[in-house]
Amino acid sequence: MSEIEAYAAVRDFVETGGDVLLVIGVVTFWMWILILERYWFFFWVHPGSADQVQLEWDAREDHKSWGAHKIRLLLLTDVDIELQRGLQIIVSLVALCPMLGLLGTVTGMIEVFDVMASSGSGNVRGMAGGISKATLPTMAGMMAALSGLVFSVQLERRAKKEGRLMSDRLITTHV
Amino acid sequence: MRLQCQMLIGRGALVALLTLTFFVTAAGAQEPTNGIKVEASSLDELLDMVKTGFRLEREATQKRETIFVQAKDLQEELLREIEGRVATEEARAERLETTFAINEENLAKLEDNLEQRLGTMGELFGVVRQVAGDMQAHVWESVTSSQLPDREKLLERLGRGKELPKTDDLEKLWFELQREMTEQGKIVSYTTNVLTMDGDEHPREVVRAGVFSVISDDKYLVWDPDIQKVRELSRQPPTRYLQTVGPYQDNTGEGFTLLAVDPSRGSLLNALLDSPSPTERVQQGGYVGYAIIVIGIFAGVVGISKLVTLSQTNRKVKAQRLRNDANPDNPLGRVLQVYAQNPTLDPEALELRLDQQVIEEADQLDHNMWIVRVVSVVAPLMGLLGTVTGMIKTFQAITMFGAGDPKMMAGGISEALVTTMLGLITAAPLVLLYAFISTSRKRILAVLMGQSAGLVAMRIEEPNV
Repeated sequence: MSEIEAYAAVRDFVETGGDVLLVIGVVTFWMWILILERYWFFFWVHPGSADQVQLEWDAREDHKSWGAHKIRLLLLTDVDIELQRGLQIIVSLVALCPMLGLLGTVTGMIEVFDVMASSGSGNVRGMAGGISKATLPTMAGMMAALSGLVFSVQLERRAKKEGRLMSDRLITTHV
Repeated sequence: MRLQCQMLIGRGALVALLTLTFFVTAAGAQEPTNGIKVEASSLDELLDMVKTGFRLEREATQKRETIFVQAKDLQEELLREIEGRVATEEARAERLETTFAINEENLAKLEDNLEQRLGTMGELFGVVRQVAGDMQAHVWESVTSSQLPDREKLLERLGRGKELPKTDDLEKLWFELQREMTEQGKIVSYTTNVLTMDGDEHPREVVRAGVFSVISDDKYLVWDPDIQKVRELSRQPPTRYLQTVGPYQDNTGEGFTLLAVDPSRGSLLNALLDSPSPTERVQQGGYVGYAIIVIGIFAGVVGISKLVTLSQTNRKVKAQRLRNDANPDNPLGRVLQVYAQNPTLDPEALELRLDQQVIEEADQLDHNMWIVRVVSVVAPLMGLLGTVTGMIKTFQAITMFGAGDPKMMAGGISEALVTTMLGLITAAPLVLLYAFISTSRKRILAVLMGQSAGLVAMRIEEPNV
């Protein structure tokens, strides 16, 4: 019974918020999937692959020639590409959220003015539907952007730090 | 003309004068006249014709004069007759006026009489009139009229109040009031004429749920007071509500079935009709709206083709990393080819050559990318432009009609909002598209810049791999 109630509550929320709210929901969901994938990568995948890269480098005898420097760069770039994967998409999705919220505001306002045009400014109840469609997506967009922003910034710093650490681990001897 | 005449007189006065007369007369005679010979061939004949003409005209005049004299006698006779009739009518008017005055007095007496006899009952009839009037307005708006169409006459007669209502009428009014009340609480099924979308009228089986909703054939209907008929809605509510209609109508009366009703008695359903369709919305955006859509579609096409090219390139680059020979169909292959073509160069020179090739490839990768970026930024700005032009229209409307009527401003405001909406709708996918393109490009570029030299170095170290 409570599941049905919860479903009805979500459905009512989406219905009062309009289609834009649904789009914001999809974008936020996608953003969070990507964020969680990144954390999973940093905690479970990256340490192993970093160790393997270091083994590969340490196995080399030559650590100081032009070729060695280039090969080291090659290995670092490989790691870096993996570290950076999907981060830009997350940042874009974070930027997209307030934009979609604004879109919701505008579509809601259009609805309000539709009511105003058809039944004058006296019909406050008629306008209320449009106003909730204007405000709910704005709020949802802001919330989604704020929640995503914190983690996307943290993830970017983490990726940079891991890259720096990796480059420290591959020791070179200068000529 | 006159000069010409004088000259003619100067030369041979008589002949010329005669000739001139002849011409003039002949010209005049050419006009057709009753029964007279039209053309004269000689002067004598002309003279004859003139004479005959005179005679005929005199005869006609005499005839007309006789007719006038006779008519004069007749007119006088008519005048006398009419004067006689006027006198009779005036006498009758006087007689009738006296009767009218007497009747007025009688009427006043009778009305006084009526007033005295009515006494407190007068108030009752006032109330009956008022109630009947209210009831008539209510019945006009009420959907129950589709089921009970014959109440109008009685209520109108009572509401106008020209005559005193009879006991029978009072009982009927009471009955109608009670019946309306009872019907409002009922869910009934009956047959009535339904105006369909194509303007036809068909008798159909409908179900009325109180005064809230009328349903038939999986559709919501509304009561249209202006035509006093039940009408199909051109736009139906969301499917979630519409789905409740069919099972409800088919329900045989056992158990419960859910039905969504319109508690505002049809005004919510009618509001559905007022909201414009997506195409109408786009039209409200005006030229700015169309411009946004056009550049949006352009950038979208460019962006998608760019994305496809980049992901293909990315696949080829990945394949190249696993191959030993340089394949010139991808950027990495072309960079590696530089080494294959110059195997004897020393590292510094080789690196310079590699860098040069990488820069060329990067230019290739960046090609057309700016379009997506620029449009994703420009589209909301154009939306803002539309907002401003829309506001200008709104303020023009305010200048002309004042701020009293929001309907006058609606056009400008919807342009303002619709363009903003279009700008955002265009920009949002483009931002995402740009993110994808830019990720792809970055990955390829990272491989080119960071790894091409490394791969070359590997080959130098192990030439036979």
